[in-house]
Amino acid sequence: MVTFAILASVAVIGALGVVLLRQPIHAALSLVGTLLTLAVLFVTLQAHFLAAIQVIVYGGAIMVLFLFVIMLLNIEHERKEVQPWLRWAAYGVGLVAATGLIVGAMLDPRQAPDHAVVRDTLQGGHPRLIAEVLYGEFMLAFQLVGVLLLTGMVGAVALVQRPRPQRTSAMIDERRKERASDALEAGGR
Amino acid sequence: MDSLLATFVKALLLAAALLGAFAYMTLIERRLLGRMQHRHGPNRTGPFGLLQPIADALKSVFKEDIIVSKADKFVYVLAPLISITFALSAFGAIPGGPAGSLFGYDPWVLDLDIGLLYVLAVTSIGVYGIFLGGWAANSKYALLGSLRSSAQIISYELGLGLSVLSVIMIAGTLNLREIVEMGIWGVSPLLWPPLAIAFGAFVISAIAEVNRTPFDLPEAEQEIVAGYLTEYSGLKWALYQMAEYVNMMTAAAFISTLFLGGYRGPAFLDQWIPGISEWPIVWLVAKMAIFMFLFIWLRATLPRLRYDQLMRFGWLYLFEVALGATLLTGAVIAFVL
Repeated sequence: MVTFAILASVAVIGALGVVLLRQPIHAALSLVGTLLTLAVLFVTLQAHFLAAIQVIVYGGAIMVLFLFVIMLLNIEHERKEVQPWLRWAAYGVGLVAATGLIVGAMLDPRQAPDHAVVRDTLQGGHPRLIAEVLYGEFMLAFQLVGVLLLTGMVGAVALVQRPRPQRTSAMIDERRKERASDALEAGGR
Repeated sequence: MDSLLATFVKALLLAAALLGAFAYMTLIERRLLGRMQHRHGPNRTGPFGLLQPIADALKSVFKEDIIVSKADKFVYVLAPLISITFALSAFGAIPGGPAGSLFGYDPWVLDLDIGLLYVLAVTSIGVYGIFLGGWAANSKYALLGSLRSSAQIISYELGLGLSVLSVIMIAGTLNLREIVEMGIWGVSPLLWPPLAIAFGAFVISAIAEVNRTPFDLPEAEQEIVAGYLTEYSGLKWALYQMAEYVNMMTAAAFISTLFLGGYRGPAFLDQWIPGISEWPIVWLVAKMAIFMFLFIWLRATLPRLRYDQLMRFGWLYLFEVALGATLLTGAVIAFVL
């Protein structure tokens, strides 16, 4: 329980850092910290496989790409002044959402399962168990998610593709003239 | 299972051994490169230059530790620490011998069911060291180096992951010790071609992952000074060097463990010296030495790839070849065996 309290507070502090830190790189690093803390939480539940996947996918791939994009765009100096009313509206919405979450959790009659129960259900988060669920029960969903990701990727490639340079008639005329003068020169020799 | 104290002592010993090996690998590398390039290499400090690493270490400690004034100080200091921490922790999951063979103790620090994924996960976090170091130094060369390194490591992780899949499919486990014990080459001769392809793809990806020539673009000194290392000096620079060599050793040990039987020695030697193939650590170190030599040999032989060649090779050839090996392995297992 003490471990959980420490890890949970580190995760929450990291998550707050993502929102509150001004420097985008620091915010992204803070998110990495949160994700790694979550992985450690999985380890305390003996779900080693989930923890490793969490680190590989989120820590090793997704966040590196995040940082890559932040560094590439170099957005650290873009600090726009926001409308004052927008800031207050954001505070309000955040407050309402947080209160809703806490009240919802308090009103929920279900008891949070015991640490031991969670651990037994996960059964060490063994890859074989996860594979059976993922490729058995949720096969269709799994495939659909794959198609969705592919669509997203194709869309991203389509978005960044530069339009082909249009050949205007003026350009073609110019090239024809060039070619004609080249031919004249060659003939003159 | 060993007690917590024994595990702790083993972890300390492993870290010390890795760092000691790092110091002497620098000497071995420079001497070998010297030989391959028809020059002497360091041979003045002590017999055969054996005291050179100590002199280098002292130099690094006493050098002025410069923190660039425009640097992001926190990240600048954090980055080399990330590199060395994750480099050292990755090696812990690699088994060095059969259970209980090291004076009654197990010759590994961690025996995880997901040992293979653990090594991949920890090494993939190590990229943050290079990446953040280059950014925090606030210099264009360092930034270019770190952008290159992240793109390269992400690209070659695909080849690495896909070529590992063949081994996982054959072994049916992610536990490195069990992979070594079952001996993946002994399952069926039909699996040899895909395994050989996967082995080749894995070695190439591993070299790219540890940023060695011909894939050392993050620190290409003719183009971007020294890449992410440009603004580092003294101890922090030494930490990066340590991380690079420890990563090389982890890669060598990982390749040996996955594809070459790890800590197991050739069994025919047992008829002369009984039990020699079961000796802990010896065989793993011997196999690692072969790959370390290969890395140095490649550095003396091959020119560096251009950036577009690197990307094309990774995405258009290595990725497809590794995928092909995976499909072939799957097909053999599903339809023939």
